[in-house]
Amino acid sequence: MTALFLRLILRPLAGEKLRTALMVLAVTLGVAVVVAIDLAAEAATSSFRASMESLTGESELEIAATGGVDENLFARLATTPMPVRLTPRLEGFAEVAATRAVVPLLGLDLAQPGPTTAAGQSGGDGNLEHLRDPRSIWVSRSLGLDVNRETRLTVNDRTETYIVRGVFDARDQAIVMDIGAAQQALGRVGRIDRIEVSLPKGSDTVAWTQRLQAAVPTGVEVRPRGLAQDQNRKMLTGFRWNLMALSYISLIVGAFLIYNAIAVSVVRRRAEIGIVRALGLTRGQVMGLFLAESAAFGLAGGALGLILGRVMAEGAVKLLGATVEQLYVSSRPGDIVLTAGIVAKALFIGLAASLIAALAPAREAALVAPVEAMARGRRQHQARLHLGRRGLFGFAAAALAAIAYRQDAIDGRPLFGYVAVFLIIAAAAWFMPAIVTVVARVLGSIAFRTLGVEGLLAARSLWASVDRASVLASALTISIAMLVAVGIMVGSFRETVSIWMEGQLQADLYIRPATGGGANRYPTMSAEVAETVRATEGVQAVDRFRVYEIDFRGKPALLGGGDSSVVRISRRTSFMPGQDRDAILAKMSQGGDYAIVSEPFANKHKVRAGDRITVPLGAANPTFEILGVYFDYSNERGWIVVDRTTLLRYLPDPAPSSLAVYVRPGAEPDEVRRRIEKATAGRSLATFSNRSLRVEALRIFDRTFAIAWALEAVAILVAVLGVAGALIALVIDRRREVGLLRFLGASAGQVKRMVLCEAGLLGLVSNGAGLLLGYILSFVLIYVINVQSFGWTMRFHWPVTLLIAALSIVYLATLAAALYPARLAASLNPIEVIHEE
Amino acid sequence: MFKTFAALLIFAIAKPGYRFEFPRDHFSHPDFRTEWWYWTGNLQDQTGRRFGFELTFFRQAVSEQDRQPRHPWDATDLYIAHLALSDISTGRFHHSERVNRAGPGLAGVDAARGVIWNGNWRAGLTQLEAVNEDFHLRLDLSTTKPPVIHGVNGVSPKAAGEGHASHYISFSRLESKGALTLGGRTFELTGTAWMDHEFFTHQLGPGQAGWDWMSIQLEDRTELMLFRLRRKDGSLDPFSAGTYIDSAGRPRHLNAGDFSMTPTGERWNNYPISWRVEVPSLGLRLDATTPMHNQELGGDSPFTPKYWEGAMDFKGTKRGVGYLEMTGYAGPPPKL
Repeated sequence: MTALFLRLILRPLAGEKLRTALMVLAVTLGVAVVVAIDLAAEAATSSFRASMESLTGESELEIAATGGVDENLFARLATTPMPVRLTPRLEGFAEVAATRAVVPLLGLDLAQPGPTTAAGQSGGDGNLEHLRDPRSIWVSRSLGLDVNRETRLTVNDRTETYIVRGVFDARDQAIVMDIGAAQQALGRVGRIDRIEVSLPKGSDTVAWTQRLQAAVPTGVEVRPRGLAQDQNRKMLTGFRWNLMALSYISLIVGAFLIYNAIAVSVVRRRAEIGIVRALGLTRGQVMGLFLAESAAFGLAGGALGLILGRVMAEGAVKLLGATVEQLYVSSRPGDIVLTAGIVAKALFIGLAASLIAALAPAREAALVAPVEAMARGRRQHQARLHLGRRGLFGFAAAALAAIAYRQDAIDGRPLFGYVAVFLIIAAAAWFMPAIVTVVARVLGSIAFRTLGVEGLLAARSLWASVDRASVLASALTISIAMLVAVGIMVGSFRETVSIWMEGQLQADLYIRPATGGGANRYPTMSAEVAETVRATEGVQAVDRFRVYEIDFRGKPALLGGGDSSVVRISRRTSFMPGQDRDAILAKMSQGGDYAIVSEPFANKHKVRAGDRITVPLGAANPTFEILGVYFDYSNERGWIVVDRTTLLRYLPDPAPSSLAVYVRPGAEPDEVRRRIEKATAGRSLATFSNRSLRVEALRIFDRTFAIAWALEAVAILVAVLGVAGALIALVIDRRREVGLLRFLGASAGQVKRMVLCEAGLLGLVSNGAGLLLGYILSFVLIYVINVQSFGWTMRFHWPVTLLIAALSIVYLATLAAALYPARLAASLNPIEVIHEE
Repeated sequence: MFKTFAALLIFAIAKPGYRFEFPRDHFSHPDFRTEWWYWTGNLQDQTGRRFGFELTFFRQAVSEQDRQPRHPWDATDLYIAHLALSDISTGRFHHSERVNRAGPGLAGVDAARGVIWNGNWRAGLTQLEAVNEDFHLRLDLSTTKPPVIHGVNGVSPKAAGEGHASHYISFSRLESKGALTLGGRTFELTGTAWMDHEFFTHQLGPGQAGWDWMSIQLEDRTELMLFRLRRKDGSLDPFSAGTYIDSAGRPRHLNAGDFSMTPTGERWNNYPISWRVEVPSLGLRLDATTPMHNQELGGDSPFTPKYWEGAMDFKGTKRGVGYLEMTGYAGPPPKL
């Protein structure tokens, strides 16, 4: 059997090194993309997991409130006779001025014994007086700052000099301040972000949660520790999920090519199969041989894919890290770790994809009867006979896809959306032989008229080997379809965001603290800054916006407070159809318990205008009436926006997170900006002009989708490689015909043109079918997967230029891939070929 | 040297002639660098199951200067507290530590409310309550004798030189009654407790290595407080001293020459845990033994080194119970 495997399988493989290499490369790329995305996503999101949790030791529960817990509540709890340990904690970010690195800033009670206590365990001199110095910081070793080093840090809108008092060991970068100093630096005097609660060993967490909840005011929540982190983690999982789904496309394309390759080798070795069958080999053994061939492809591709994936992950992690930081949480990408699990996974998916792809052709091989060893062409006939049945499968898949399209998300994940995508792809693959047959027939005559006899022959040849050609066309079509679908989706999204920004960003200048700019970073600036800006000459109005991250019904959301009256005059926030913008904003600005929510929020929490929502705010639990749902694309967590006066009633901290500045008509925005910058000198603020903010937003947008494009590109590359490989096989397979044609007087050039025509026709079919299929898939992406994952709707938009450019490149690549096989065909020696017969 | 000088400028020092005024002087003296309030006691339930306890509150100034807090969390002083329970019938010693600053009310001394607290441990002149992972202790205390001011002329000298002394007050017999919850069981307890309150800026001299301190509550309702200061060269410091309190509550000062405290050989981890106590002028000769060897605590944080503080039994010419504290055996003496 081993000898047989060597002879029947390996020898032909060795004989067609180029084709073999192309097939292995296809699997390699498919596996590599999956591995790269897996590794990069892990690295980009993992560091945030352990985060700074360990610094304050073990604890089971935490007590938190929107806008922080009153420190007097902490004191009250800490002096209540309960056998629990309570640790206060402030969280923010600091930017190291020298490196511009943004590092988590923790405010801890450093007098309390713990891993980072000030008392000298952490490398410093342990002088307790450092606790009293508001410039004292303790830093993680990874920051590379020495004890007693003076360091400039920007916290919120102020840059100050701090002194490193000690260095501690921690997995992640962190800067620790004593709690009082952190309150001052972060502008949260009198408040604590979280109280961590460690319970006696073996105690009942639920009972303690209830007991503590009864001891705190409404609006203050007792919950499992790290719940917010868990929620962020869940969001990240969703993000990784979508990415992972995208990364499997290359592998699917690769699987089609494996199918094609094995099918080719079955057809080509029919005679040999017949002979070995006649010599007594069983069907099972024949099938095993071909599955083994495929397994060889799969294993080799899996192993190489693992290596290539590790290399590609380096690039991917940069893209992903930036995206994660922008959209989800501030976290520095960790190291890329190649685990045994990933190795096993790479080999497994390589093997599995290859074996599944080879199943049908291997069965085909097993069915070869010893007597038909010398017969040819029957298989193609069979394929045509099966056309009807395949069409039926295709219709069934399409019908199921239509059902899946209408299903809701499961646990916030668009599972059925992906099922629909898969079914649509399957349907397309089943329809493909029919399409190729029809196209080959129709185009045959056209090709004859336009391209001459070579065109006709090419079309006929496609028609004659419709089964193989349709597999090839399927692979190419799927990659093109995904390119088109993702292109339409991203294009639509980009267009929607641009139009939305047009309405939403009406102010002339935007100001925020310099340390902002991350997904979960909402630093504040002093309230005086707003006053200073408002008093600047040329400023007409200032919209002070404050952001809080809140926990709404167990999911993270954002709560914003803005000056509704300013917004009403200036901003063109667009609401759901039928909702009167001006009426809503006028009512909002009265300062009652009213709110508007963003579309993703409404979708995520299933609320509508007119509903009431109860929001934990400070020490209260107010209920807001939703006046309207507005379109928003800035955050998938979703916004609840209330008027500033309403917000201040519950959370009296006047510090804004950002300012939108409207310039008086006739005043020059750049001039006003200079005046503002002069007036606020000494504060670390970032000012954006309207234009630069939009450019920045689109830049972030494009960077977010860069990874999607990279994945598409790889899928196309795999498909084009497949075309090259398949055409080589086709040429070798039809040496006899080619030889005959040459014998009948065809020139080498004509043969060459014929092969190119064939590739051209294949490309044309695939482009056409891909465009159509992509259009269909884009509906699933836009209206199912996107809405279910992120909760926002977008208007459909054809990114015409982009698609034309992309499809032309693919088409040219297909033709380029045919160049070598065409030359190969042309170089066949007709006499030699005919002598083989 | 400069530090000492600066401290002298900022902090008050314990000097003879200090005029005590109660209840004011039971509470905080922020002019002094260090202050502590110590409750120790021997308790038992109806069945005779015996417990010892210690609840101690320290206040330690962080800075020599600039004693005005700038915000609630400004750590001008650190408050450290120790809680220990000697479960004598099982031999288990439970102890824990709290470290806090005044903060928004985390620790402190409130004369108006008559309470000294650190986190959820609190004590006053009439009751105390403390809870940790293992147990919860509540005691009502009743004073049967007036407070005792130790030393001579209101000051208890500890070493040569001005200021190397403390102001030292005790309640030598506090009748105690209360409840202890331990391991899911609640014990109704009665017994006697002792309360020490001391404040000072400097105490030990440079040549001193540590001290051995005893409180003795005898059956005839008399009490003794004795401390022995050890020098680094192994000799005893002549500043060692004590106080005898008669049954009417009248104190009598004892000089180093008036008494002797001698280890009689039994040791636990370097700590001498059996002693002979003699006060010839009172005709007293007592053998001190402990019902439990491991009563060492501290060392959980950098703020306090290890020390031994435990329940004691006294037998001899009279019988009694008390507490023994030994410092400087497991590292440098407390900076406090």
